[in-house]
Parts: sequence; structure tokens; C-alpha cells
Amino acid sequence: MGDSALSAGTSDGFGLLAEFETPAQIMRAARAVHDAGYVEWDCHTPFPVHGLDKAMGVKPTILPVLVFFCGLMGVSLGFLLQWFTNAASIEAWFFGIVRGYEYMISGKPMMSLPAWIPVMFETTVLFSALATVGLMLVFNGLPRLYHPLFKSKRFARVTDDRFFLVIEARDPKFDRAASLSLLETLNPISIELVES
Amino acid sequence: MSVGASTVREDRLGALAPRLFLGGGILGVAGLGSSVLIGAVGGAWDRLLFSYLAAFIFVLTVSLGALWFTLVQHMTRAGWSVVLRRLSEAIATNLTWLGVAFAPIAILVMLGKGELLYHWADTSVYDAGSEHFDEVLTKKHVFFTPTFWTIRAVFYFAVWGAATRMLFGQSVAQDASGDVSHTHRMQRYSPLFMVLYALTQTLAVVDWVMSLEPLWFSTMYGVYFFAASLCGFFSVLCVSLWLLQRSGRMQDVVTREHYQDAGKLLFGFGIVFWAYIAFSQYMLIWYANIPEETGWYITRQLGGWRMVSALLLFGHFCVPFVLLISKHTKRAKGVLAVIAGWMLFMHYIDVYWLVMPRIPADLLAQSETYRQLIDSIQESGNDLGFHPHVLDLTCLVGLGGVAIALTARRLGGCALIPIGDPRLSESITFENM
Amino acid sequence: MEATPIDNTFEDPGQRAPLVLNHNDFTSVTTDICRASESPRPPRAWYIAFAISAALASLFFLLIFYLFITGVGIWGNHSPTMWGFPIVNFVFWIGIGHAGTLISAILFLFRQKWRTAINRFAEAMTIFAVVCAGTFPVIHVGRVWVVYWLFPIPNQMELWPQFRSPLLWDVFAVSTYFTVSLLFWYVGMIPDLATFRDRAATKTRAIIYGLLALGWTGSNRHWHRYERAYLLLAALATPLVLSVHSVVSFDFAVAQLPGWHSTIFPPYFVAGAIFGGFAMVVTLAVPSRQLWGLKDFITMRHLENMNKIILLTGSIVGYAYVSEFFIAWYSGATYEGFAFINRAFGQHAWAYWLMLFCNVVAPQLFWFKRFRRSIPVMYFVVMCVNVGMWFERFVIVISLEQDFLPSSWGYFAPTWVDLMMLVGSMGLFLMLFLLFIRYLPVIAMAELKAVMPQADPHTSGEHDTPAGQNREVV
Repeated sequence: MGDSALSAGTSDGFGLLAEFETPAQIMRAARAVHDAGYVEWDCHTPFPVHGLDKAMGVKPTILPVLVFFCGLMGVSLGFLLQWFTNAASIEAWFFGIVRGYEYMISGKPMMSLPAWIPVMFETTVLFSALATVGLMLVFNGLPRLYHPLFKSKRFARVTDDRFFLVIEARDPKFDRAASLSLLETLNPISIELVES
Repeated sequence: MSVGASTVREDRLGALAPRLFLGGGILGVAGLGSSVLIGAVGGAWDRLLFSYLAAFIFVLTVSLGALWFTLVQHMTRAGWSVVLRRLSEAIATNLTWLGVAFAPIAILVMLGKGELLYHWADTSVYDAGSEHFDEVLTKKHVFFTPTFWTIRAVFYFAVWGAATRMLFGQSVAQDASGDVSHTHRMQRYSPLFMVLYALTQTLAVVDWVMSLEPLWFSTMYGVYFFAASLCGFFSVLCVSLWLLQRSGRMQDVVTREHYQDAGKLLFGFGIVFWAYIAFSQYMLIWYANIPEETGWYITRQLGGWRMVSALLLFGHFCVPFVLLISKHTKRAKGVLAVIAGWMLFMHYIDVYWLVMPRIPADLLAQSETYRQLIDSIQESGNDLGFHPHVLDLTCLVGLGGVAIALTARRLGGCALIPIGDPRLSESITFENM
Repeated sequence: MEATPIDNTFEDPGQRAPLVLNHNDFTSVTTDICRASESPRPPRAWYIAFAISAALASLFFLLIFYLFITGVGIWGNHSPTMWGFPIVNFVFWIGIGHAGTLISAILFLFRQKWRTAINRFAEAMTIFAVVCAGTFPVIHVGRVWVVYWLFPIPNQMELWPQFRSPLLWDVFAVSTYFTVSLLFWYVGMIPDLATFRDRAATKTRAIIYGLLALGWTGSNRHWHRYERAYLLLAALATPLVLSVHSVVSFDFAVAQLPGWHSTIFPPYFVAGAIFGGFAMVVTLAVPSRQLWGLKDFITMRHLENMNKIILLTGSIVGYAYVSEFFIAWYSGATYEGFAFINRAFGQHAWAYWLMLFCNVVAPQLFWFKRFRRSIPVMYFVVMCVNVGMWFERFVIVISLEQDFLPSSWGYFAPTWVDLMMLVGSMGLFLMLFLLFIRYLPVIAMAELKAVMPQADPHTSGEHDTPAGQNREVV
């Protein structure tokens, strides 16, 4: 571990990056860093480690609730679309004036709800699924093709077999020496200072 | 700390078993006794039969759901569900005494008095000279001969009895021995019983419920009952888990994780799958609009049945769907139990809605078209069988009481969880993602 | 590398059998799975297969061109069988796709950990099958240049699609299904694309996979939302997959035609779709695991589990055949009864019995463990199912031949274009699949690693491992 390199220079860069070999080690490290009161820090793992959310104190995401409401929107729009285009001869504005049409088909009632359920269901799922993926990416700040961590050569193994913990320099509690010694007590394979 | 089978406190019903047996027994005797009394005094024999059939089908579907659940756990070598399995095994054993409970109906049919309940049991419909002659019914006369019909019923109960005895017996034997060979045996025979289950369950509901309107038919019917029976069973499972835990039993072994999974199954099968099947059947018949089929639904959209249909739509699907979609309600034990209790009630309403409605044969015979039929029904003020009767309640209490008593007796003789199961510790430590 | 063959098809009830064989660490899992895409040249067999399938796909496109300049008269669709091969092929391909969604979504909800080895390419198969499926209705509309009329787009004629038609439900169901399957596939692939990016040996690979990976860093805060989103997608895809084939079945079942109008159609079609789809997964998995050396991941246990599902869904299909026949008799309806007798003994009886043999009789071999584990037997059965499920749809569609009125009866015979287009669509499907296994991660590495025993943070220290940690059902 190049301690001299870690203490050289004045810039704190992006933060300190510690590398671990097993899920158990990253779990222990996450608990320690969480208990030390850091906020701007993260674990990077090749796969979701079971229980790491709890160890890090990650709050449950609001995603499912938002998706539920997008689904409600989908079902309503599915209904309105079919009602307007097939059972109402009224005008509405949709990037210009559009007119509904009352179709009389096989003696079925105008409000043929049973026949509309399939499309209402599909629009519900479509809206919910698009919202799920879209909101997940937005909340995660993706796509973000550049990230300071990509500068680290070792970090390339995060998608393979290594587990990383990074404490960012912008954390109010970040102190290069103190944070470094905290990380060192956790027995990482390596620690490096990532440039910003 | 390893949670092995050896460290699990062996929970038993203990003192609760005789009390439940006594309580359920009293309810059963009182319910069935008063039903017979009311039937005899009030002369409401046919009503008694219908009420009795509804209660019988209700208990039957819950027990069939339990049998299906047990079989599936073995077929999939499931680990998470081990702590719940004894309950389902015990509930499924109701299928043995239900054979006896079915006997009055079978005897009635055999004695030639079946027409009180089943139109096809009226021999005059096959008689070309009779005014009740029905040409279509003569085509299926073979199927509806009392002897053949009864032999089939005996066959269903034989299959169910064999399956539940095997599953319950092997599982209890494993409690003592802890021998994995029992697991292997149950896993080996479960698929075979599943094939028989599909066959017998479908034919049984065709024989006993669909044939109440012998001219009506739907290929989906067996699947509909399958979905309904899962709703019944998973509701009972959630409610009884909660009650047992409140009585201080199964504390260490059944966790919120199991509630969440039982809730998911209730949500997935009892609410969403049920709605999918119910909607598909309704929509196809509504859309094709063929007279042979639509009558069944028209009956259920007239008079008081209209409200019951709406109640099913909202109470069996819309409202519980929204309530149970969240994982928080599934993990809150009491909340889940209350919703499950409601679903159990809805399941009874569903069965009631399937069994009770009927168009009087004379009105049907007079009418040429559906419009005429609807008009004559409205003129005559016929309620189409929609007149909630005290017999509905007494029969339900009676058969329900017997079910509670005999399940408690069965469970009282063994541990509440299969303590000898090799996957027990996996089940206890199980966590959802 | 099969020095110590471990039989993971046997399971001691107290101990879960391993899902990944001969691998002790994450590193070798990554290396072995990436090899297929990273090796400079694929095996010779890949080139041969690609050449053949690309040729067939070209034939498919040529025939579509021929169709456009000539008209649908080149097909065998004539009165009374107005729906011929195109709808048979459509239903066949869309059904194939359903196994992918079953594996990725339904087995995920049921916590079937063995799905991780096969879900990626089953999902890919879904996408390509839906591409093939979608082609047929589009080219069947006749005037393909106005195919956008299918969508509710405001237009100068002030005409809207007719939403009471099940054919329009299809448009919505299939396009939603395609979109959601694509999202599901892609979202699942993001972490693995990041692996490809991080291992890229050339600049081109780094840029392409880097763009596709969206800058994934494996952040646990991201994983948290990612897992939630994945679960939600699975929960949405599960009813979706049921709805899609139900809607496809509505195309037939809302009609009053005997043999088509049957209330069991929706679940029966769904089960049949999964049945046929799993047969296709096995068809593709067996050569792929051989070709890319993936036998440690797609083990005999995986194949056996799939064969069990084939037996199960095949039995459900058999149940539906029996109940249709039974109710046709029970209904006492003359036309209904005739339609079924005609299926079994009429002019296309051979197709019916072939279907029955392939879909119901052949899978019964899977009751025996020996056959479930034998590659030749398994291949025989899945090939039967592939054929049988195509003929199932054929048998249903040609109920049109003889409806209520004997004077309008006819005989359906396909033309050479019909047959070549079916073969051509298979070429397109295989070509897309071969491109996929060459250029994209074939196995969901991140998910696979997460179900390995060493992924459990409790194994190395802190706690003892409770028995059965490597949890897996089926």
C-alpha cells in the first residue's frame, strides 16, 4: 500500500477508495463507515450483496409508489383513449382539433367496458414499466458515462470480483488522515486516492 | 448460531386442541341440527339442500386448496414454506370426512329425489312423452345417471383421501424419525397425485356445481374453481397463522417473511389470478353473446344478484388488490389477517353466487327469447334464488364447526410444524429479498 | 474441464445442490462467461450456422418483398380459410417468446435461483421471437404502407381504430410486450455490459459497451434502486405475459366459430406458449452450452428442471385438449361436437394426431429421471414439442375450413411461399440469436454470482452458515 502516495499532494481528489476481496469484508467495512457517521460514501460491488443496504443505512426507495401512480395514469389514459375514439363524438385538443367517433359494432353497447379491459391493462403495464426504468435511471443519475472512479485501474474489477468502498472528499466528516486510518483498520487489499 | 431442528421448541396445539374440538363440535352439531330442524319445520327442504351444498362446496374448496398447496411444495422441493406445511396438511385432511358430509346429497340422488337440487336428476326430462322433455339433456343422460354420478364422487373422495393420508401420514412420521426417506417419498408421489387432482377437481365441480344448470357449460369452469379454492385456502392460512401466533404458538418459527409470502400467494392467486380467470370467462361469453352461454350470467345480473356480482368485482378484486399490493400490508400480521378474513368471506360469497342463482324451470319453458324471460321474471317477481335464508348461516356454521373441530383434533396429535423436515432450518431462517 | 463430474440433479433434502459446478470464485465465472464474446474468432460451427440462418433470413426478406409487390394472393389463404399460415406463424412465434418472460419474471418472483444461468438468453430469445411474430400480422395487412392505421394516430380522415376488435388488442398487447421485454432484457444486462466495458481489450469494444453500460459503477445505492426496479419489472411482466397470450387467444375465442369459442382458451394458450417456449430454450441451450463451454453454468440440473416444466405445461395443454373435447360433447351442441370429431377424423386428421403425439405423448417420457437427463431423448422430445406446438395452432386455425354451412366448406393447402416464409422466419430468429451469443453476455453474470454460496456475506466470518443457505427451489 503506497502510503507515501496517499499522503502526498494537497488535493483530496474525489475521495479514498478501499478494495476488499469478499462480501463479508465489505459488509463489515460498510458497517464501520456507517457507524463513523459518513454520509457521502458508497460501496461498489459486482452484484447486489444481500444485507448491504441495511449495513449502509440506505433508505428504501420511493420508486414503487411512483410506479403505482404511473400505472393509475396508464389505466385512466387507456380508458379515455378508447372512450374518446370509439364512444364519444366530441372534439378535443390534441396538438390540433381531433374528433371522437361513435362506432356501432356488432350491437355492442357504446361503453363496451369488457372489450376495453385488455387495452387498459396493456397501457397500465406499459406506463408502469417505462416509469420503472426511467425513474430508476433518473434517481441513479444514469446514464453518466464519465465517473472519477473510472480513473482507478483497480476499480475495473468492480464488475468482476472485487468489492470497493469509497469515502468522498466532499463528505463533511472527510479528513484525509482520519478517514485513511479508519479504512486501514478494515483490512482492505488496497487503498488509493482517486483524483477528481 | 445455527437454527437446527433440535433447537426449535416443539409447538403443539396442546390444551387448545380439546377446546377447539369441543367448541367446533358444538357449533357443528348445533348448526347442522338446527338446519335439519328448520328445514323440517319450515318445509324448506330444497332451500336446505342449496344452503348445505354452498357450505359444503365452501369447506371443500378450502380443503382442496390446502391439498394443492401441499402437493406443490413437494413438487418444487420448497424450503421456505416448511413451517406452514403442517397447517395445510391438516386442513387438507378435511377431504376425508367431507366424503361423509357429501353422502346425504349422494343418497338423495341415488334414491331418485335428486331433482330437488339437480334438474338433471328429474327423470321426466329424458322422457320424450313428458312436458319436461329436454332433447339436449338426453344427449348427456349417460353422464347423469345417478349410479355413474355417485361412482365418480366415490372415486374423487378416494383419490383425495389417499393423497391427504399419504402426505399427512408421511409428514407426521417424519416428525419422530427425522428420516429423509419420507421427504423423498412425498416428492416422488406428489406429481402423480397432482395429475389426479387436476382431473378429479375439475370433474367434481362439473358434477356438483356446474350441473346445477345442466344446459350451461364452460371449459374454464374447473380453472375458475381452482383459483377460487386457492383464495379460500390462502385466506384460511393467513388467518389461522395469526390466531395461532396470538395464542402464543409458533412464535419463534413463523416470521413476517412467511406472512409476506402467504400474502403474496393470496394476492397473486386468490385475487389477481382469480380475477384473470373470472374476467376471461365473462368477457368471452359476453363478447360471443351465444344464448346457450349468456343465460348463466344474465341470471347473475338480475335482481339481487346484480349487487352480489358487483360486490364480487369490488370486494373480491378491486379493493383487496389495492390493499394487498403493498409489501407493508402483507408484512403487518394483523392487517394481513383482517384482509384475509375478508377474502375468506368473499370466497363464500363467490361460492354462494355460483351455487344459489336459478331461473325457475316454468319461466324458462314459457319464454321464447331472453327478453321475454327477463320480462316474465320481472313480472312474476321471482327472486331467482336470491333470498338470504337463516339456513345459509346454520349450514355454514355447522360444516365450518365440524371442519374446525376435526382439523383441531388432527393437529392436536402432532407438532404444529413438521419438526423432522430436513429443510426446516432453511424455512425458519428464510428472508425475502 | 470435466475432471470431477458432480451430479447436481440429485438433491439431499437438507442440502441444496450446487448450481455452478467446478468454480470456486467470481473471477473464473467472469472469465469463462466473457470468453465467448472476447475470443477473436468464434468456433467454426458458429460460422456455418450463421451462414445458413443468414441465407434463410435473406430468403425471408426477399419473399416479403415479393409479397409487397404482388399481394397476399401468393399465400394459401383463401375463403373460407382466410387466416392461414401468417396467423399460425404469428401465434407460434409469440408463444416461443413466452418462456423467456416466464424464466426472467415468473421464476424470479418464485425465487428460482437456477434461472440465473438461462434467463439472459431466454429473454433474448423472447425479443427475437417477438420480432418474427410481429412481422406476420404487419405483412398480412395487405397495404403495408398504411400499417400505422393500426395505432390511434389523429389523421385527416378522422378515423380511429376500432377498440372492440381483439385484433387491435393484439397491436397493443404485442407492442407493449415487445417494449417491456426489451426493457427487462436491457436493464438486466446493464451490469454485465459494464463487465464487458471494464474488460475491453480494444478501443471499439470499450466505446460500444461503455455507451451501452450507461456508466454503471456497481454503486450499492444504485443497486438498491436497480433491484427494486427489477422486481417491479418482474411483477409487471408476469401478468403481462399472461395477458399477451390471453389476448392472442381472444382473437379466436371471442368468435362464435365451433372449436374457437372456448372459455378455457386464455390459460390454455398461456400454458401452451410456455410449453413451446421452454422446448425452444432447451433446443438452443443444449448446443450453446456445448459450443461456448458453458456446461458448468447450464448444468444437467438446469436442463432437467426445464424438462420438468415442459412435462408440467405439456400436461396442462393435455388437460385443455381433454376438457375441450369433453365439453364439446357435454354441451350437446351439434356444431361444437362436429368441429371436434372433424378435427380427429376429418380432412386434416393427420395434423391433429401429430399434434397430440408431439404435445401430449412425447413429453410423457419426462416422467422418468433417466430420460430427463439424457441429451438425445431430451432433444427428441423438444423437437417434437416444437413441431407439435406449431401444429396446435395450425389445427385451431383450420377449424375455419368447415364451419356452419357445408356449402362454404373448403380445403386449406399452403403455397410454397407460405412454407418458405415459415422457414425464413426461423432463419431470421436463429441469425439474431447467433449474433446475440457472439456479442452480448450470454449468461447474467452479476445475477449468477449473487446466487453462488460465496456471495453470502455471512459465509466468511460473522455467523455460522445455517444449513440450506444456497437456497434454491425445484
